[in-house]
Amino acid sequence: MRTAPRASWGVGVALLIIALAGSGGGAATRGGALTVGLDQDPPTIDPHASPSAVTYQITSSVLENLLFQGTDGKIVPWLATGYRVSPDGKSFTFTLRKDVTFTDGAPLTAAAVKWNFDRIVDPNFKAGGALVALTGYTGSKVIDEHTVQVNFKQAYAPFLSYAAGSTLAMVSPKTTPTQGDAVNQKPVGSGPYVVTEYAQKDHITIARNADYDRKAPWSDHQGPPYLDRIVFKIIPEPGTRVATIESGETQMISALNAPAAVLGRLERNKGLRVERVPYPGAPRIWLLNVTAPPTNDLRVRQALNFGVNRAAFVESVYKGLGRPACAPLTQAMLADPSLCAAYPYNPQKAAQLLDEAGWKMGPNNIRMKDGKPLVILINSINYGAGNLPEIELLQGQLLQLGIDARLKSQARPPWYEDNYHCATNGPVMFLRSTDWDGLYALFDSATVHTNFNWSCYSNPEVDRLITEGKAVFDPAKRREVYLRLEKILVEQAVTVPLVDEFSVWVLHGNVRGLRFNYSAYPVLSDVSIGK
Amino acid sequence: MTRYISARLLATVPVVAGVTFAVFAMLFLIPGDPVKMMLSEFQTNPEQIARMRAQLHLDEPFYRQYGRFVWGAAHGNLGESIRDRRPVTAEITEVLPATAQLATGALAFAALLGITLGIAAAIRQNSWWDLGSTAVALAGVSMPSFWLGLLLIFVFSLHLGWLPAAGGGGAGHLIMPAVALGLGAAAIIARLTRSSMLEVLRMEYMTTARAKGLAGPGIVLRHGLPNALIPIVTIFGLQFGSLLAGTVIIETVFGRPGIGRLLVNAILDKDFPLVQGVVLFVAVGYVLINLAVDVIYAAIDPRIRYG
Repeated sequence: MRTAPRASWGVGVALLIIALAGSGGGAATRGGALTVGLDQDPPTIDPHASPSAVTYQITSSVLENLLFQGTDGKIVPWLATGYRVSPDGKSFTFTLRKDVTFTDGAPLTAAAVKWNFDRIVDPNFKAGGALVALTGYTGSKVIDEHTVQVNFKQAYAPFLSYAAGSTLAMVSPKTTPTQGDAVNQKPVGSGPYVVTEYAQKDHITIARNADYDRKAPWSDHQGPPYLDRIVFKIIPEPGTRVATIESGETQMISALNAPAAVLGRLERNKGLRVERVPYPGAPRIWLLNVTAPPTNDLRVRQALNFGVNRAAFVESVYKGLGRPACAPLTQAMLADPSLCAAYPYNPQKAAQLLDEAGWKMGPNNIRMKDGKPLVILINSINYGAGNLPEIELLQGQLLQLGIDARLKSQARPPWYEDNYHCATNGPVMFLRSTDWDGLYALFDSATVHTNFNWSCYSNPEVDRLITEGKAVFDPAKRREVYLRLEKILVEQAVTVPLVDEFSVWVLHGNVRGLRFNYSAYPVLSDVSIGK
Repeated sequence: MTRYISARLLATVPVVAGVTFAVFAMLFLIPGDPVKMMLSEFQTNPEQIARMRAQLHLDEPFYRQYGRFVWGAAHGNLGESIRDRRPVTAEITEVLPATAQLATGALAFAALLGITLGIAAAIRQNSWWDLGSTAVALAGVSMPSFWLGLLLIFVFSLHLGWLPAAGGGGAGHLIMPAVALGLGAAAIIARLTRSSMLEVLRMEYMTTARAKGLAGPGIVLRHGLPNALIPIVTIFGLQFGSLLAGTVIIETVFGRPGIGRLLVNAILDKDFPLVQGVVLFVAVGYVLINLAVDVIYAAIDPRIRYG
């Protein structure tokens, strides 16, 4: 069996260990219900159709994959007992467990796996994030009842990570075709919980699958989960969500969008516990449009990297929600000292680079060149409550460098359009990806005018390395390729990485056994509620 | 009366057609592609975007898309939500009861509080009652509903633990949202009731009633209130519109399912079919409520007749 590419760790693992250590020990209590507060409702919980991450916060406890990728980045067997990769890297042969049945009684067979993948690429199916995970898929071949070969047009190393990702979870080939629209609300899988109720925009209930008799790769026990049921309540307003965990109405909430000060208050509450797991993918990052002045000048881009004080972001807006970022992939995914050493906070160096680029300090502390002020236009998404706080902090920091940063504050639709058309000096965004190949979406020249190459960056060497990365399976060699890529992107200052974000959850002290997968989605089958 | 109601119902058709056309045109003109936005959380590619645009008929010109909507609506089919992949009618009918419950609760609270305060202020003009009623009305009009909502959660959920903060459901889930939503309307109704009642109390028939020996609450409730209510009923119809607008905020603050949240999210996602469907429902609802108000108006004031 080939082993998976291993991410380089460090602080991320340390954080998780601290988090798990805090989750309490002792024998798990059986029974009871857990209410979880989520920040938004999923558009669908069909794993193959969903374009939204919130779906997988629910399905990670309901559906299962061929492989599992834990928070340590290791890929291990799950519904598959093992896999082989063909020498050309184009075919993946999975041997399946023989004791798996979906909750409708259908067995997991090679034909079922083939049916799942074929469903995703079916031109009549409105696939979500799953479709790109199967880029270049040419079909699956049933070798025997429990062996299936998945084939691609080209060598495709990222597939192993994607096969372990929630978008490629297995649903029952027996019930799914008969469900019609209901599949969006009650997908049928083989996991430790079953979706029993879907109250639109209000709550989703999953109940214990009493027939579950296996031991999941992350689990501490064999057999069904401890809790009777879990209710996911949709509470968009962060203040209300926080009030529910403090009042006991919920026992676990997503801390997304909760102000840093509130998180501090929750941490001081002895009855509560805060768990953090670093997100894989790209950090909160400012993509600099390399085609528009003045960010088409390398010296200006480098000056921005020296002049932005990342620590200030973490100390104010992101307190407890992240740590300073160094490169276009988070340190949880690919950490290297050289990346963090590239741009220490140095406003003098930033000023020197801007001077060299011809932008001399002018009146009103704004730099000028040829009689024109140094203006940078940041594309700022506005959900209706104003600019995001990190954007305003960035604007303030740039002003100290003598840059007149203007915010093009707009709703989601025009914000996206401007990004696709390279119409500003770039947006601040993030990208969750479980494979280093996430860099393809951000920097390959093929993704200019689509997502997410909003730096509008085109570099044949970067394209070559991205293609090479897809074909290399040896973990050490693969890391080398992506580290080289990251170094080029950092040297070229294509972005200003700001904050490596954490997935942050607040729990009651007696809620034990919370686990996460590599995507930082919570997995709840080991959760129990202590006395 | 029947002719009047039929004519009013017929007038709904151009209103709804105009509203849906205007909304569709506005959404169409705003830059942004719903498919690109929908697929934006994960990596995608131009082929997937093009494929989904074609599946959803978003690659068609404006007039064909709008025509498709009109044809479908005429046949009772409002299409499928782009984001949620489900029939728009199902999306709406599932959350409609929650909004109806909230709007009714808020309106009932507003009526009860507003009319009581208004009467108390009128019969005890320039007293502490009047001053207190004015203060409540001022607070109700001045306080933004989201702030009042958070304040109620802080007191009644967090500190006293009496009421649940989030979600739809039973009466317990309705009290705080209905109060937060209805207080503004209660303030307006209180002020209107006060002035209307003051006017009625000075009428000659009230003097006659008093001269005949009637006194106490009876004279106010039996002779005063029915006459004072006429302008108040009108305001109910108008308040329905603002209450509906307010549900957007209240449903978000209290994590309640409902039409308001559905509509705002659909607009932000440029979910054309869902926006159209909700607008259609709201427009029809608004017209029908105002029609009902006019009918009630005639019922409580025999002088009013529709021909």
